[in-house]
Amino acid sequence: MQFDLIIIGGGPGGYVAAIRAASIGKKVALIEAADLGGTCLNRGCIPSKTMLKYAELIDGVKKASHWGIEINEMNLSLDKMIERKNSIVTQLKNGVQYLMDKNKIMIFKGTGTLSDDKSVEIEMEAGIQKIAAHQIIIATGSRPVVPKIKGIDQIQYHTTDTIFDMQEIPKSIAIIGGGVIGVEMASVFASLGSAVSIIELNDRIISAEDIDASIILEKALRKKGIKIFKNTEVTAFEDFNHTKKISCMENGEEKTIEVDAVLLAIGRQPNLSVLGSSSIKLKKNHIEVDKYLETSKKGIFAIGDVIGGLQLAHVASAEGLTAVANLEGKKKEMDYSVIPRCIYTQPQIASVGYTEETLKNKGLEYRVEKSEFSSNGKAITMGAAEGFAKLYVDPIYGEILGAVMAGENVTEMISQISSYMTLEGTIDELAEMIQPHPSLSETLMETANSLLGRGIHY
Amino acid sequence: MATDVIMPKMGATMEEGTIVTWFLNKGDYVEEGSPIAEIQTDKIAIEIEAEVSGTLLHTCYEAGETVKVHEVIAYIGEKDELIEDSNSSKKMEVIEQVKEKEQVLPPPSTAENFQKIRRTPAARVLANEHRIDLSEVSGTGPNGRIEKKDVLHFINSKKKITPLASKIAAAENLDIENIAGTGAYQKITKKDLMLPKTSEKSKPLKGMRKVIADRMSQSAFTAPHVTITSEIDMTSCINLRKELLPEIERSTGLRLSFNEILLFATAKTLSKHPNMNASIIDDYIVEHESINIGFAVSVEDGLLVPVVKDANKLGLTELTAACKELGLLAREGKLLPHHLEEGTFTISNLGMYAVDSFTPIINQPQSAILGVGRIVEKPAVINKAIEIRSMMVLSLSFDHRLIDGAPAAAFLTDLKEILENPMKLLL
Repeated sequence: MQFDLIIIGGGPGGYVAAIRAASIGKKVALIEAADLGGTCLNRGCIPSKTMLKYAELIDGVKKASHWGIEINEMNLSLDKMIERKNSIVTQLKNGVQYLMDKNKIMIFKGTGTLSDDKSVEIEMEAGIQKIAAHQIIIATGSRPVVPKIKGIDQIQYHTTDTIFDMQEIPKSIAIIGGGVIGVEMASVFASLGSAVSIIELNDRIISAEDIDASIILEKALRKKGIKIFKNTEVTAFEDFNHTKKISCMENGEEKTIEVDAVLLAIGRQPNLSVLGSSSIKLKKNHIEVDKYLETSKKGIFAIGDVIGGLQLAHVASAEGLTAVANLEGKKKEMDYSVIPRCIYTQPQIASVGYTEETLKNKGLEYRVEKSEFSSNGKAITMGAAEGFAKLYVDPIYGEILGAVMAGENVTEMISQISSYMTLEGTIDELAEMIQPHPSLSETLMETANSLLGRGIHY
Repeated sequence: MATDVIMPKMGATMEEGTIVTWFLNKGDYVEEGSPIAEIQTDKIAIEIEAEVSGTLLHTCYEAGETVKVHEVIAYIGEKDELIEDSNSSKKMEVIEQVKEKEQVLPPPSTAENFQKIRRTPAARVLANEHRIDLSEVSGTGPNGRIEKKDVLHFINSKKKITPLASKIAAAENLDIENIAGTGAYQKITKKDLMLPKTSEKSKPLKGMRKVIADRMSQSAFTAPHVTITSEIDMTSCINLRKELLPEIERSTGLRLSFNEILLFATAKTLSKHPNMNASIIDDYIVEHESINIGFAVSVEDGLLVPVVKDANKLGLTELTAACKELGLLAREGKLLPHHLEEGTFTISNLGMYAVDSFTPIINQPQSAILGVGRIVEKPAVINKAIEIRSMMVLSLSFDHRLIDGAPAAAFLTDLKEILENPMKLLL
C-alpha cells in the first residue's frame, strides 16, 4: 500500500502530526505498537496527574481538619482509584481514535521497521505487512531507562510502565531518581500512606530547575515525611524475604535501605528499533535532525522523545506540527524558545524560558526579582502560602527571558508568562496589566513592579 | 540668553550639511573655540567650534541628520537655563510652514493650534513623507518642540509591532516603515529587527563614505561614460624628470614626481582642447575659462580631490609646490572647502599599484577624468628594432552627452604626443 505520509508512533507527537497532515489533504498511515496516545496518555502525564489529584485531595482533607472541617475516617480504595484512572485513559484514548477515524487516518496496529526506500514493514497479529510513502515521520518515543546495577534482574521493580497498575499500596517504596517523575510519584505514594525514600545522584532534586524550586520542593516533600538521599548512588539490589535491600553510597558512605517496592525513575531512552537496517544518522543515543526536523535521510522526519531534548508531550506535539509544515519544502524552523516545564507536586513547579544557569552559560545580562506567595492574600486564604514567582529580564528592554514559579496553580499561571514571551510583551506591560484581586497572579504583577523599582507589597 | 549654534555655510554652493558626530553630550561644558560637532558638506568634513563658552543646553538633531545652512543645530548657555525662542524670524518661519501645511492637511480646529506647533525641519520633512499631521505628535524638545525622533516614535507606534520590538526600534533609532513583519498579521517582532545584524561586520554608510557613495552612483547613472586608453612611451619623460628633479629640489626642497609632470602636460593639452574642460549646467554646455585640475588623494576611509587652480598658468616648480601642499593638507585632514571646489578636470593616478589601466568615474559636474596606470618596462618597436622602453597606459573616461569619441581621442593623442616628446611642453 502506498501513502503520502507514514507516521510511526501514535503518541502526542505522532497523532497530532497525523491529524494536521490529513487536514491538509495527505493520505496518512499511522503505525502504533500498543495504544493510541502513547506514553503521555497511557503511562505518563494523564495517569500521573490522575494520581496526583488523589494525593492533593487526601492532603487537602488532612489540612482541612485543622480548619474546622473534620472527616472522621478517610478510607482509601486503590482499586477504585485505578479504575477511575483507567476509565479516564479509555475516554481520552477513544477521543483520539474518534479523531483518527474522522480524519480518515489509516491505523496499523503493530511494530514498524523502516527501510531507506521509505517503506515500513509492520509486524502485526495477522502477519507482516509492508506499506510505503513519499514521506515518513518517526515518532516512536522513549521508554524508561533500566540501569545496569548489580542485582537489578534479581528483584521485581517498577517503572512508569507498570506503576500505574499496581495492585496494592506498598508499605514502603524507594524511588530511584529525584527528577520530575521521581518527585511526582514520591508525592503520590506519600499521600497514599507509603513510607517514601528518594535516592538522587545529584546534590539536589529536580536539578534541571532553578535552585529556589529545588529548595522549596525538598522542604515540602520532607514535611510530607519523604526521606531524600542526595549525592547518593545505588550500588546493588538484593531480594530479601520479599523486601528489597538497596545498597548505596551516600556522600561516600555505605548505606542500606529496605523497602517493599522499588520505582526506577532515572530517565528515558529513545525507542530506536524502528530504524532497523536504515542508514539514518544518530547523535549520541537519539536520532539526529536539522532545525526543520528532517533526519539525515531526505523526506524522513523525526519528532518527540526519539530526537532527545526536552522529553515533554507538548514539545512532541509542537514538533509534529512543525514537521508537517515542512513536508512541502523546508519553511518552518522548530522554535524552542518558549516551552513551559511543569511539575505537578505540591507545591507545583512551573518554568519557561531560560534558567539562571543557561543565562550565565550564555553570558547574557539579566536582572532577577522574586515575590513570595506568603504575602499574597489569595495564597493565604487557600492555605498555600508556600510559593514564589521569580522573573529573569533583560536589563535594557525588559524582555522576559525566563520565569520560574512554585506554588498552587502555577502550572496554569505559567501560561501568562508564555504569552508575554510569545507576543513579546515586556516587564513594563506586565507591571501595568491589571490582575484580578485576590489572585495568585498578583505575585506576577508584584515581581514586575519590583523589577521596575516600584513594588507595592514588598 | 542662550546662544544659537548654526549650521555654517562653508562655500557658495553649500546648501546643507550633515552632522557626523556630536563631540559633546547635552549638559557638557564647552570652552569657546572648542569643537562641538563634526559636519560633512558635500565636499569636506569640518568641525564646528563653540563661539562662546558655556553648557551645551540642547542639540536639535541626531548624528546622521542633514540640516540646511543657517539652521540652529544646538544651544549653548548657562547651566539649567531655559531656551527662549525669541527669534521673531524663526516664529515667522513656523507660521509660514503652517500655511504650507494647510494646503495638504485637513484644516485645524483653530488657527492658534497650528501656530503652537514647533518642530525641527527634519521632523517636518519626515512628517510630510509619512503624511503625518504634526498636531498629533507630541514633542520632547525644548518648549515641546517636535524633533525627528518624536515623529519616528509616532510612526513606529502606528505600525503593528510588539512592545519589545517597539522598544528596540526606539532605542536604536530604527525607522520601521520599511521593515516587513513576520508575526501574525505582519506584526513586527524582535527577530525582524535583528535580521540585518548578522555575524557579518557592518557599519553605517555615513560621512565622507556616504558622500562618495552618492556622488559616484549619481555620476555613473547620469553620465554615459566612455573610456578610451592609449599606451604612452614614458622613456623621455623619465629622462626629463631625472634632469629637472635636482633643479626643483634645490629651489623648493620638494621632489618632482610623475604626478606633477602629468598634471602639467594635461593642463597644457587641455588649453588646446577647451571642449574637454566643460560641464553641462542647466541644459547648457559651459566651456570653462579656467583650467582647474583636481587630483585624487587616498585618505583613511575615502578619497579627497584637491584642486590646482589655473594649472595651465603655473610653471612646473610652482605646480610641484602647489600639489605637494594640497597632498599634505589632504592627508592631515586640513583641507578647506575652497581647496576642493571649482575643479574642471580630474586625474586619478593608480601608478603606484600594479594597475595598467582602469575605467575611472567622472567627478561631476566635470566631463572627463584621466586614469593613470603604472610605468613598466616593455619591449617596444622603435625604427623596426625591438627596444626595452618604459611604457604607461592612460585611460580617459568622458561624458558622451557632451563629448564625442573623436574629440576625446584627439585630446588623448595630443597628450600622448606631448608626454612622448616632452620638449613640446616648451612650445
